[in-house]
Amino acid sequence: MTSPRILTRRGFLHHSAALGLGTALATLTDIPFVMQRALAEGGIGKPGPDGRVKKVLFLFLRGANDGINAVIPTGDSAYNTTTRPTLHVPPDPGVDWRTRGPAHFPVAGPNTGTYLRPDGTQLGALALGNQFATLHPSLKFLAPVYNAGHLALLHRVGYPRQSRSHFDSQNYWETGSPRDDLIKDGIFYRAMVESGLTGSNALTGVSFQSSLPLLLRGSKAAMTNISDTSRYNLLGVPNTAAGNLKADRFLAEANRIAAPDRKSREFLNLQYANVARTLETFASINFNQEFLDNEATDGDLPYNLFPTSNNTNGGYAARGNNAAKYVVPTNSYDFFRQLRAAALVLNKTDALVAGTQIDGWDTHSSQGTLNGSHPDLLRRVGWAIYGLRKYFLQNPDQCRWDDLIVVTLSEFGRTTFENDDNGTDHAEASVMFVAGGSIKGYQPGGRSGVFGCSPSDPLPWQTGTAGSMFQTENRYLKRTYDYRSVLGRIFRNHLGSTPEQLQRIIPGYARPADALLAGGIQTADGVRIQAEPDLI
Amino acid sequence: MNPSQSRSPRWSATAILLLLLTPVLRAAETASPDATGIRIQSGRPLLEFQPVPSALSYSILGGPSLTQPLAPLPGTLQGFLWTGSDVIGPDSGFFQVQAQSIPTNDIAVVNLLNRLAYGPTPDELERARQMGPDAWIQEQLAPEGIAEDLDTPEPSTEGWRKVTFTGTGSASTLYIYLDGPGDVYLDGLRLVLGASDDGTRPNLLRNGDFETALGSEWVRSPNVSTSARTTDPVKSGAVALHLIDTTGGTTRASSLYQTITPSLSSSQTYTLTYWYYTTASDRNLTLRLSGRGIDSVERLDGRVRGIGTHASDLLNGVGSVTQLRSWHLLRAVESRRQLNEVLRQFFENHFVTEYTKTRDYLDGIGYPNAVAGLPAAQTEFIENRRWQQALLNPGVTFLDLLRISAESPAMIVYLDTVSSRGDRRSDGTYRVANENYARELCELFCFGVDNGYDQEDIVQLSRVWTGWSVELRAPGQEGNPFAPRSTTYKDPSVVTNRNALTNLVGTWSLWYRNTRHDPRSKYIFYNRNPNGSPITSSPRRVPARFGPPWAGRAYGLALTAGGNGTNTLAEGYSVLSHMANQPFTQEFIVVKLCRLFVHDDFQTGYDFTDDVTSPEEELVKAAMLAWENPPGGGPKGQLRHVLRVILDSPTFRSTLASQHKVRSPLEFAVAAVRAFRTQSAEGIPTAVTDGVGLQTMLNRAGRMRLFDRADPDGYPETGPAWISAGTLVERLRFAQAFALRPTLRPGNELDARTSCDPVNLLRTKRPSALSNAGDAADYLLDLLFPAEGPANLAPYRELAIQFLDTADNGITPSPYASLGVGSTAHDQRLRGLVAFLLTTARFQEQ
Repeated sequence: MTSPRILTRRGFLHHSAALGLGTALATLTDIPFVMQRALAEGGIGKPGPDGRVKKVLFLFLRGANDGINAVIPTGDSAYNTTTRPTLHVPPDPGVDWRTRGPAHFPVAGPNTGTYLRPDGTQLGALALGNQFATLHPSLKFLAPVYNAGHLALLHRVGYPRQSRSHFDSQNYWETGSPRDDLIKDGIFYRAMVESGLTGSNALTGVSFQSSLPLLLRGSKAAMTNISDTSRYNLLGVPNTAAGNLKADRFLAEANRIAAPDRKSREFLNLQYANVARTLETFASINFNQEFLDNEATDGDLPYNLFPTSNNTNGGYAARGNNAAKYVVPTNSYDFFRQLRAAALVLNKTDALVAGTQIDGWDTHSSQGTLNGSHPDLLRRVGWAIYGLRKYFLQNPDQCRWDDLIVVTLSEFGRTTFENDDNGTDHAEASVMFVAGGSIKGYQPGGRSGVFGCSPSDPLPWQTGTAGSMFQTENRYLKRTYDYRSVLGRIFRNHLGSTPEQLQRIIPGYARPADALLAGGIQTADGVRIQAEPDLI
Repeated sequence: MNPSQSRSPRWSATAILLLLLTPVLRAAETASPDATGIRIQSGRPLLEFQPVPSALSYSILGGPSLTQPLAPLPGTLQGFLWTGSDVIGPDSGFFQVQAQSIPTNDIAVVNLLNRLAYGPTPDELERARQMGPDAWIQEQLAPEGIAEDLDTPEPSTEGWRKVTFTGTGSASTLYIYLDGPGDVYLDGLRLVLGASDDGTRPNLLRNGDFETALGSEWVRSPNVSTSARTTDPVKSGAVALHLIDTTGGTTRASSLYQTITPSLSSSQTYTLTYWYYTTASDRNLTLRLSGRGIDSVERLDGRVRGIGTHASDLLNGVGSVTQLRSWHLLRAVESRRQLNEVLRQFFENHFVTEYTKTRDYLDGIGYPNAVAGLPAAQTEFIENRRWQQALLNPGVTFLDLLRISAESPAMIVYLDTVSSRGDRRSDGTYRVANENYARELCELFCFGVDNGYDQEDIVQLSRVWTGWSVELRAPGQEGNPFAPRSTTYKDPSVVTNRNALTNLVGTWSLWYRNTRHDPRSKYIFYNRNPNGSPITSSPRRVPARFGPPWAGRAYGLALTAGGNGTNTLAEGYSVLSHMANQPFTQEFIVVKLCRLFVHDDFQTGYDFTDDVTSPEEELVKAAMLAWENPPGGGPKGQLRHVLRVILDSPTFRSTLASQHKVRSPLEFAVAAVRAFRTQSAEGIPTAVTDGVGLQTMLNRAGRMRLFDRADPDGYPETGPAWISAGTLVERLRFAQAFALRPTLRPGNELDARTSCDPVNLLRTKRPSALSNAGDAADYLLDLLFPAEGPANLAPYRELAIQFLDTADNGITPSPYASLGVGSTAHDQRLRGLVAFLLTTARFQEQ
């Protein structure tokens, strides 16, 4: 017996060339699954010195979040009722925003609406203790996370030659490669490939939404999207245990039949394998479990961490069906179901990255000042991050709060000027929220958790009508951070990628012209940015 | 190179690859069988290879040296592993895999049915194979020549619905009742032994046709005592029954019932069929056996829910979005103008709008919340009908379709033009127009992203659309963009709130409000000074990469101030005419059409002037040239010429296209229904849907909510966007539920009206397949995986036969041939096979 030449499969060469990726990555996906992990470099998916595996939960705020209305530059004189006649949020008098210290967290108590002062009037923008920025009151539940030092608020985040098309710009965030339309796979997908676990773990990257986002899309390894956890089982032929077995067996055998080289087949095979693996994993998780806070954070009762009905939404049921006691809008239950599923999967399985999205941020008209569409969206984000922290602190299993980073993404910010429809249009830089137990956030008497929203930043926030909010094309907020620097920091310092891996996850990460690592002028459009933020 | 090879120099087996194809097939360059392994076992050669597309047969040639011709070698083929019969010596030898393809026309026909239609039906597959691809294309490219009246409301005399329900003989009394006061007409009641009713088995019910006076066989409880025989309407024979229920019933004491003699057996399967006709009762009709072994419940909502009724309701503003989707899905299943349906869906998705946004807008301007969806569905229906009609015009151009989209209230509301103003304020400044429509007109509807425009063009363009609003127009005034609101009243006698929107007859259409228009000059696609102002003498020019005849052409559009009053409406139309035929638009639309018809890997941005070229680039360019210079003259952008170039290309007709695309949820669900849909000898369709069950599936398998896409880029055309473990699970569940109906356990998620009857299909098309497992496998594999080629289907065939010959436990042998036709076991075995085949990776491909 002899072992002659085995021809290399054309499909492999074709695909790896089309991806434009480094040879190392292409090689890794083409070798047997069992070998991949052994050959993978770096620490993604590997237990660290503390024996823990680090994970990431992402939230994509689709439609472009108005960063100026989230982390508000109250100290900028140009943030006023001329630029924003109806959308301007005045500072809350409860704690002076000019005072140094923790974030202002106004507790409602049992008899007051969640987002109201005890006298029933509306809350204003909440001091963040950096003597410049404030938090939109709809984000008030971020204050306890901030004050624990577990939250970084990054302002003025963007990328060179910002596209103001939702689709382009979302793509660039998701591929980690601005202005490069040739890269077709997602930034988290590539990070998962680098882990070497995509063939052996039942789950690596998982999304909980209508379809797999580009963040997790790629043709060489199957990431999973689940639109509804309750439907994750199969019917049989007939629908009995034996019938299911027969169906499973024949389906598996049929899908093993070799097919001619087809553009879609390799991807389909990966996803079928993923179906089989995840069916088994999911059977062991109760996705409907409820999780109660261990403290009465808002001065009322302990609230449900993942509100999925009116009765589990803040103090609504406990206070006589009082709608003012909701913590989140009543149309956000699907989102919190998805968020809970993402949290459970990170905590109960070997998944490394999970996430979902919140739609509806494209607030061209009737954006809402203290109530309305944008405040409602902010309430989701505020309570989501609050709830995630408490969930992982109270229920650590495969993932502790210290092992997790929660990060938000959004394609761009919105115009400094309010438009004629009481809304804002597509613009440039915006805000990222990054939370987790190992974040280098606020310290009493020490550092602030606000990055990029202060006149004392290395690249200061410049105030006035010629200031930061007008420095791109005279109408948009100018960036001082590149989103890739933020994500790069997370990939390296949290997930544990090597510099070489980071180069492949975020193409050209170390390229001096992009200044992502050390800061400096980005040559694509000549804008100076700050170095990787020291947030973890 | 290979250490083991170098250590055994006497033996250097090599696989040499060669593919022999019929002379007309053009796929040779891309499809040659790769040998993936060759070894010697017990002296015999074993050769493993990757299949090639559409293989009719494989054979292995060999010989000791290349200087002599290779000769066919005896051996056996197991899947794609060949074992030679002859022991060969330890000397060098050469092997060659040869594949012969099925005829090219058979490949082309299947590509046509998968891309220009929503998959083959049993009849259409036969018909298209017989016609050949050219005649079929010719027919579908001229849909106006295909007779069809699906959108005509069903005449009331044809408004009978047939219901079939299979179950067990739990007891021998059949009850019939409504769940409240109401009435319904019944005719043709039959109850037979077996899992289906082909009309040949004896009817176990007496006087099920009500042709004789109601005697003791039918007992009328008090609540149905006024029920009587009638001669109008009638389904069969001369008489039907008019069931009148005064209170509603639940059991024997409150129903029309019959005690069946001789008694039914609880271990046997029976099939109940009946026809009903209803006019107005909003009730549930129940026909059931005591013990509910058979338990048929039908919702009577006063309408026959056919395509025609949906169309008429939608046109009249009383149809819901669910009806709109059913209309669309039923047309996809049933229409003979399949290409017209595929193209309409393509353009509906290209010029995407969101039903919910229109509904919310109408809700906000005065419609009660509960009914705001009706005019919103109407606007979606009307734009679709306009596209449908436009596509029947032999000279239809892209501009025609673009205009329909621009004028549609659904679009005007969707991209915020409805509230966009550019008129002068009292302080002398101008209002800032909303950029939304202008941006998507460039990025998504015409030029494609980053293709020939920039942000300043969008700002300039946005001012063109100021003043485009919507208004409710009286009948006959829909085409007049200046007409006032309808004053035709549904109820003229109403005094208070006479002008409420719900009391006005009309349809929403374009309203041009010139007082909101920005009257200043617009310079679109012009070079600009550093301060952003246009250089009016310097229009931009088409980039060099387009090559002749396009490169270097000026494509600036100047709309100079001076227009006033209502004539500024013309600015919008000038923009549409200007943009519709620019090379950027030609390229973007052609690329999208190629992705729809050929495969996913077409791009915009080819350099048409360099030496690097590909079949894809060449096809795009050829189609763009047909757009630019239509053969036979006439306006640019005539779609049929563009399509003709794509459909006649070797790339489309060959294995370069076939099976390379993944079905979208829409294509998957509709293809499943179509695959099993023929008419049995008795005129009964062998697969049915009312559209609603498909909508549920589309939503679950990727949130494909037709007519209600939130993002303006439309639903994706490419496969990976649709396929993940979660969406795949939904496809598998749908396929299983669809195939296993009606024997699936109660609580089934799928609408009862989306199901198939494979037994009846085989009885109609291939009776021998009812008892011969090989015939069943052959028929179903050819139907579901056509053009795969018999040699590639061989492993599937083996598996399918094994499935049919194995009991439900998956282990015990249980020959298909010995299951009695008509028995539950037989029906279920075949349904199991169908579910199995529909859940494979192969059926996801088209």
